[in-house]
Amino acid sequence: MRRVGYPAEIVDLISHLKRLPGIGPKSAERIAIWLLRAKGEFAFEFSGAIRSAKEQVAFCRFCGFFASGQDGCDFCNDPDRNTECICVVEQPTDMLPIERTGAFRGHYHSLGGKISPLDNIGPDELRIDSLVQRIKNGEVNEIILAVGSDVEGEATASFLADHLKRIDLGRPLAITRIAQGMPAGGGLESADELTLFRALDGRRSL
Amino acid sequence: MRVSALRLHQFRCFGSLSCELGEGVNLFTGDNAQGKTSLVESICVLLRLQSPRTSSSSDLAQFGADAFGIRAILDGERELSHSWQAGKRRLALDGSPCRKSGDYLEASGLVVWMGNEDIQLVRGAGDSRRRYLDFAASQLYPDYRPALLAYEKALRSRNFLLKRDASPNWRQIDAYSGVLIRHGEIVIRRRSELVSQLQPWAAEAHTHVGGSRETLAISYVSGSGSSFTQSLAESQPEELRRRVTVVGPHRDDLQLLIDGRSAGQYASEGQQRTVALSLKLAQARLLQERRQTMPIILVDDIFGELDPGRRNALLSYLPAAAQKMITTTHLNWLDSNGGALSSAARFHVHAGEVVRIS
Repeated sequence: MRRVGYPAEIVDLISHLKRLPGIGPKSAERIAIWLLRAKGEFAFEFSGAIRSAKEQVAFCRFCGFFASGQDGCDFCNDPDRNTECICVVEQPTDMLPIERTGAFRGHYHSLGGKISPLDNIGPDELRIDSLVQRIKNGEVNEIILAVGSDVEGEATASFLADHLKRIDLGRPLAITRIAQGMPAGGGLESADELTLFRALDGRRSL
Repeated sequence: MRVSALRLHQFRCFGSLSCELGEGVNLFTGDNAQGKTSLVESICVLLRLQSPRTSSSSDLAQFGADAFGIRAILDGERELSHSWQAGKRRLALDGSPCRKSGDYLEASGLVVWMGNEDIQLVRGAGDSRRRYLDFAASQLYPDYRPALLAYEKALRSRNFLLKRDASPNWRQIDAYSGVLIRHGEIVIRRRSELVSQLQPWAAEAHTHVGGSRETLAISYVSGSGSSFTQSLAESQPEELRRRVTVVGPHRDDLQLLIDGRSAGQYASEGQQRTVALSLKLAQARLLQERRQTMPIILVDDIFGELDPGRRNALLSYLPAAAQKMITTTHLNWLDSNGGALSSAARFHVHAGEVVRIS
């Protein structure tokens, strides 16, 4: 006797869901069945949303953020932003946390990753040339490097700082790195020693 | 510090084990290949997340199993749990998952491991001495382990870049040089500090255990000259030739001299054993002094190798209040040391079973 399983369409749906991040075989099965049973047009709306996001959204050719259509993203199209300062991040998703702070009103630039020779990612795989073009074409006078503080992030920051210093601009270009250290609002007693160590290292005069 | 209520699951030869450990000396006896060393090793793996016998977690799982678990109570109040399954490590403190190994190690206990392979500290290549320094420094300085891990990663990337291209891309390599120097300098500073603090303890332990007038002197030998930045810059021609980073803490060493002569080259087997013991004893004393808490001392099978004089000297020099786990195959030496060990909890280890005998 043949063992009966789900029809091929459901098996196919489950196998697609399983490939999503954080979804295991059990969850994939549950979601697939839930989608089939969902009331009204939900499943069609859902698949439509995926399709239109995939078709319409591209990366902004200036800063690398998500943009719909060909006209650049909401950052680059915002006339109120400070065009003299660019904040460089690893991934487009890193822009939003900085944006939410409200402390930064300049432009962003996503590298699309970080230098990691062991993973075969070198400077040529990153959006460094387009950053240099933006600096040359615009009125930029400060670059903030907001890449991670792991080994690859540090190496990327160090490579970029060196690379950008070599551009012949004819005007000064300040290159800064975001600080590391104490979490805001925390007392000294709650910080671990490594964080304190870094905070002491990066202290500033008052 | 004390560990109690040790539980093992599929660890080495133990399918499932529950062992109530005594507060002071715990003696594990039994024939070879019954699990004595694995039992003591499990405590080291639980507390420090590394084994003195292997660097691969899969070796620790019982043969044929793809998972293991170790848990115990530290100081009667905190439950530590270290489990591993299909390549993933899970740590928990008091039942709640602990994502960062640094936080776990901070909350965990201090350990000194003494085993037969310690002789490699004297006889072996520099990497055994660097491992000794790393094990001690990670327990003393909170910034050490993160710096060492970052240094090793930067070194791997830098060496990869040096090898990759027919003509090395120095701008990319230099991006890693800065990272290498930043973390390397922390490692260098801490190792050098550690060795100068170990020195008086090592000399004292050596006199005590060796019972002779010879003096042991240990000193830090930097693998990066007096300035890492400068040495790295100057080593470029050699890097170009050999396609590898030739200076840095990965080339550090620990010099061991008995009366001014190299212990590795000139000392007898017995003298070398004494030097190795002295280094471990110095580590115990330094941990105790600096962290204001007693390390847990794991002694694997070394008592049988020592003559009665040194055995007594060693026993009397180990911090009296520290919890100790000692393994041994033969018992005949035990009774001659009855004094120091009369109150020990004794266990018999046989075929992966542990039975308390007194």
